[in-house]
Amino acid sequence: MSSRYTPTLIDHFTQPRHVGMPEEADASGQGGGGPLCPEDMATVWIRVRDGRIAEIYHKTMGCPVAIASSSMTCVLAQGKTLAEALEITRERVIEALGGVPEHKVDSIVAPEALHRAVRAYLEKAQGLPTEAPSPSGA
Amino acid sequence: MLDLTAIRADFPILQRTIRGKPLIYLDNAATTQRPRSVLETLQTFYTTYNANIHRSPHLLGQEATELYEQAHANVARFIGAEDEREIVFLRNTTEAVNLVGVSLLRPESGPLQLRPGDEVVITVMEHHSNLVPWQALCRQAGLTLRVADLREDGTLDLEQFAALLGPRTRLVACTHVSNVLGTINPVAEIGRMAHRVGALFFVDGAQSVPHMPVSVREIGCDFLAFSGHKMLAPMGIGVLYGRRELLEQMSPFLYGGDMIADVTLEGATWNELPWKFEAGTADVAAGIALGGAEDFRSGRRLLGAIDYLEALGMEEVRAHEQALLERLLEGLKGMPRLHIYGPEEIERRGAVVSFHVEGANPYLVAQLLDDEGIAVRAGGHCAHPLARRLGIPGTVRVSPYLYNTPEEIDQFLAVLEEIVRRRLP
Repeated sequence: MSSRYTPTLIDHFTQPRHVGMPEEADASGQGGGGPLCPEDMATVWIRVRDGRIAEIYHKTMGCPVAIASSSMTCVLAQGKTLAEALEITRERVIEALGGVPEHKVDSIVAPEALHRAVRAYLEKAQGLPTEAPSPSGA
Repeated sequence: MLDLTAIRADFPILQRTIRGKPLIYLDNAATTQRPRSVLETLQTFYTTYNANIHRSPHLLGQEATELYEQAHANVARFIGAEDEREIVFLRNTTEAVNLVGVSLLRPESGPLQLRPGDEVVITVMEHHSNLVPWQALCRQAGLTLRVADLREDGTLDLEQFAALLGPRTRLVACTHVSNVLGTINPVAEIGRMAHRVGALFFVDGAQSVPHMPVSVREIGCDFLAFSGHKMLAPMGIGVLYGRRELLEQMSPFLYGGDMIADVTLEGATWNELPWKFEAGTADVAAGIALGGAEDFRSGRRLLGAIDYLEALGMEEVRAHEQALLERLLEGLKGMPRLHIYGPEEIERRGAVVSFHVEGANPYLVAQLLDDEGIAVRAGGHCAHPLARRLGIPGTVRVSPYLYNTPEEIDQFLAVLEEIVRRRLP
């Protein structure tokens, strides 16, 4: 499909990876709904084994950038430790997609969802506080 | 910049020849062509997800329902609507106008009901779809229809428009882009004028939504209608956007299955929005092929026309069309016997150029172009009062889209010049 976006982005938009709504997950988190593009929303579910993300799924509603960036966020997070997962930011996802037009950056909502899922997991597993600072710029 | 080679490869029909000559399709204001991804979505729906929505207890029915509802949400996002419940899928723009008009005449619409003596204001540049329904409904219900006129340059006379509005004006219906003149009307301004006198504002977006970024939030309209087939989606799927609080108060349009919550032999209660307005089995496949949707169980994405447009970017589509228009208008201006209609400034034009060759029947011009594989439209373009107002039998209309190339415009101009100079009587 022709596009103003990179071939990688279009590939992840037309064939998004890690899509699913697992009935059982260790934790989940939501991201999106910001003032600029309130319609872009992602939910991320994780299963954790030995401190690593063993399985990750997302359900994303939104524009091509929202969907492709959720797909890429999951690809980047798969197999990573929880600490590494918290380092997956918007910038990392943009880099992996080969670039995203600046006015579409706010549609990248999965890193926020992923961080929330990780924090929810940590809270559940270790009793850590949930109210960590919001992953701004994430 | 659009990658035209890649785009054209997405549209199988553009490989066709017409009488041995490559097809140059410049009749996009009538209907556009469809990219492979949209055609594949129709096929995928019927081969993988086909079931009736909102009633089937099985997984297949649930999947079809989810895909169809998601397509509504994607359309809402595309036009900047706040809520997917504000998006009604219908057959086309014509049906959307009829829905609003018929619904507003019914007593069930309560305080929104139009009553004898109320006034509806339209413009002389409306397509028949935004004119004939209002004429008929006004006649039936004793309403007065008022018609705003043009200035010489093909733009609306806003002073005269304002003078038509008054305390009895209940509804203003106006096209965003004229399908004949190409004029882009200042709909946000007209909307403010309508709202100042307490009238509802209906926008016909059939020629704008496919070609430029359009946001109902920015326009501030109460209703917006457009047709899928003019924006790469299948024929037979169209959209009505309506502000939620209005749709909630309004009477249903068609009655039957799917639009009800409960039915007794004595009566029925209506389903929630938008299903209250989608009676009977809808064209589910076409709806999904318009809006696009994702099967969240398998990760399979059914690409819609909107996905295709968003991947290109509506700003880019508009910029491409403006470049083609500039080339087209420049070329037409140099030709003898030609009268070009509509505003001179490119910024005030949508992707439509109409012209008249002095002394020549527009159908003959279109036929001679067709002999060379060039598809354009001729005649009154479903806007007969406008042709009368211009005092001509009709025009030849050229309407490019995102897959047309500068070379096609040049070829069209060369063939037209030959026709005008040598072949017309």
